[in-house]
Amino acid sequence: MASGRVDQGSMMGWLAFLKKYSGWIVLVCLILFPLSAGTLVSGFYISLFIRIFIFGLVLLGFDILMGYGGLASFGHAMFFGTGAYVTAILMKYVSPSIWVGMGGSIVACALGGLVIGYLCIRSRGLYFAFLTFAFSQFFFLFFNSWSFVGAADGMAGIPKPTVGFGIDLGNRIVFYYFSLGMLVVGYGVARHVVNSAFGRVLVGIRQNEERIAFLGFNVQRCMLVAFLLSSIYGGVAGCLFAGYQSFVSPAVYHWGLSGEIMIMDLLGGMGTLIGPLIGTAFVIYLGDFLSSWMHETWLMVLGALYVIAILFSPDGIMGLMKRITHRGT
Amino acid sequence: MSFDLFLTNLLYGLTIGSALILIASSLSIIFGVMGVVNFAHGSLSMLGAYLGYSLILWKVNFWLALVISPLIVGGIALAIEGFTLRPLYSKDPLLQFFLTYGLAMIIGNLVLYFWGADPHGIDKPLSLQGPVSIAGIFYPKFRLFVFIFSAVLSIVLWLFIARTTWGIILRAGIHNRELVGAFGINMSTVYTFVFALGSALAAIAGVILGAMRNINPAMDLDLVVGGLIAVVIGGLGSFRGAVLGALIIGLSESFGAQLWPGFSKFSVYIVMVAILLWRPEGLIKEV
Repeated sequence: MASGRVDQGSMMGWLAFLKKYSGWIVLVCLILFPLSAGTLVSGFYISLFIRIFIFGLVLLGFDILMGYGGLASFGHAMFFGTGAYVTAILMKYVSPSIWVGMGGSIVACALGGLVIGYLCIRSRGLYFAFLTFAFSQFFFLFFNSWSFVGAADGMAGIPKPTVGFGIDLGNRIVFYYFSLGMLVVGYGVARHVVNSAFGRVLVGIRQNEERIAFLGFNVQRCMLVAFLLSSIYGGVAGCLFAGYQSFVSPAVYHWGLSGEIMIMDLLGGMGTLIGPLIGTAFVIYLGDFLSSWMHETWLMVLGALYVIAILFSPDGIMGLMKRITHRGT
Repeated sequence: MSFDLFLTNLLYGLTIGSALILIASSLSIIFGVMGVVNFAHGSLSMLGAYLGYSLILWKVNFWLALVISPLIVGGIALAIEGFTLRPLYSKDPLLQFFLTYGLAMIIGNLVLYFWGADPHGIDKPLSLQGPVSIAGIFYPKFRLFVFIFSAVLSIVLWLFIARTTWGIILRAGIHNRELVGAFGINMSTVYTFVFALGSALAAIAGVILGAMRNINPAMDLDLVVGGLIAVVIGGLGSFRGAVLGALIIGLSESFGAQLWPGFSKFSVYIVMVAILLWRPEGLIKEV
């Protein structure tokens, strides 16, 4: 009996250890993963992970806005698209350095985020969703008809990105580490933001806006900062996307992408930062897996999963895991 | 712009606008009574159009298809309301919006799966083919039919809301749901009825618009965005607002395409953003 109890205790210890360091374990696995590429797995998974890292960055910013701040944007693709197009134009006509594209994307998305954010945060809830949707449709329609960037056909011929230090970013494995690094940095910044006093105020606004205003905080300014942060995350991700694909089309502005961003956030678990990353990985992997034999109609399955999640687990995969582990103990 | 061209555009704008009234007003009533912004409204309308197309392909009479298709869509709406929306009424309205977005994805891709991506035309009844002469211009008979039919249906709907006991319950529900419930009226039944009726109206609009233009798997977004913008312009929950908004959209679409070709799609969003920034609650506040 005694030994059984000890075994159980050490099991619990292991579980606690795994739980505490799960983030680091996943990170180490991700760092080691490409070393096995070619032997264990094909390059297909490398590109799959790169896409997960890129969209993970979008979701980190989006989660600050929707998960923590409670502002559901239905047009977040506009910042992803702006980052992608600004990078594409800069890399093609100015310099192939990814830093130039990234700087341009950040400036463009910060300016756009300030102006559009200022106009949109005056409304809440569904009106906010519609306003952001309308603005993103402007961008979509504009880039769909602007012949300089190839209109509806998209813009090809973007050179391979350079990063300096004699590193070739055109190499997939190098790009894998580059985007993973960006994601880790982005996660660190986002975690710092939500743990700061500002992050607490943001959650407070979501829960009871009047009370926070009554405490003397400038609610509108906090919302604007959250909007700005999320648009910069979108811009950086768009920049990576353009650098990786060497091709951009108006699809990066499509409302369906904005919808998918919302779905990833909710499926993973809003307001947890980790949850949306899990949601991103889940949706992108599922999309790749299903669309190989269902083509576009795989979105039907995603829609069904989304409906089921809203009905039975509105706090997403994270909430589901929490309930399962709590039931276990 | 010559007078003939002006008249043609005016008629076409009113035609689109009046068909849009059916979608916008049902969207608005669903929001007003149930508090749900139904993003799947355009998808149900599209489903109605495709069902009508298949029925007519199976040699069903056009008029019969115009009755059967909305009945089927209404039945589907009953199931949707009972199984998915009902558990969410007590929760955050945003969750309901997310849910209807998921429903729109499911319905849209089911249509794509069963009917394919190619656009189709719905055969018009023989008696409504060819042009008709109005005040010196030739106008397609079917478009005139769409205009008159939707206008009459909208007036019937308005009389239903303004003159019948059911209409009184609906209007009262828009003002204060709890109070209506306190009078002993089962609001749950009212919700189900409103959602099914609204979806059936959307299906009717889908069939006649599909027969006027064409049907394709992307029409759901056009319809729901057109309807939503009309509702937002007019004021969420307001029937008169939805009528006004739908006519503004219809006219700006027909005149915009004439005066500013290639960029007419912008005009709708510009109107929406301008009105939302100027009057966040829309133009008309009364039912």
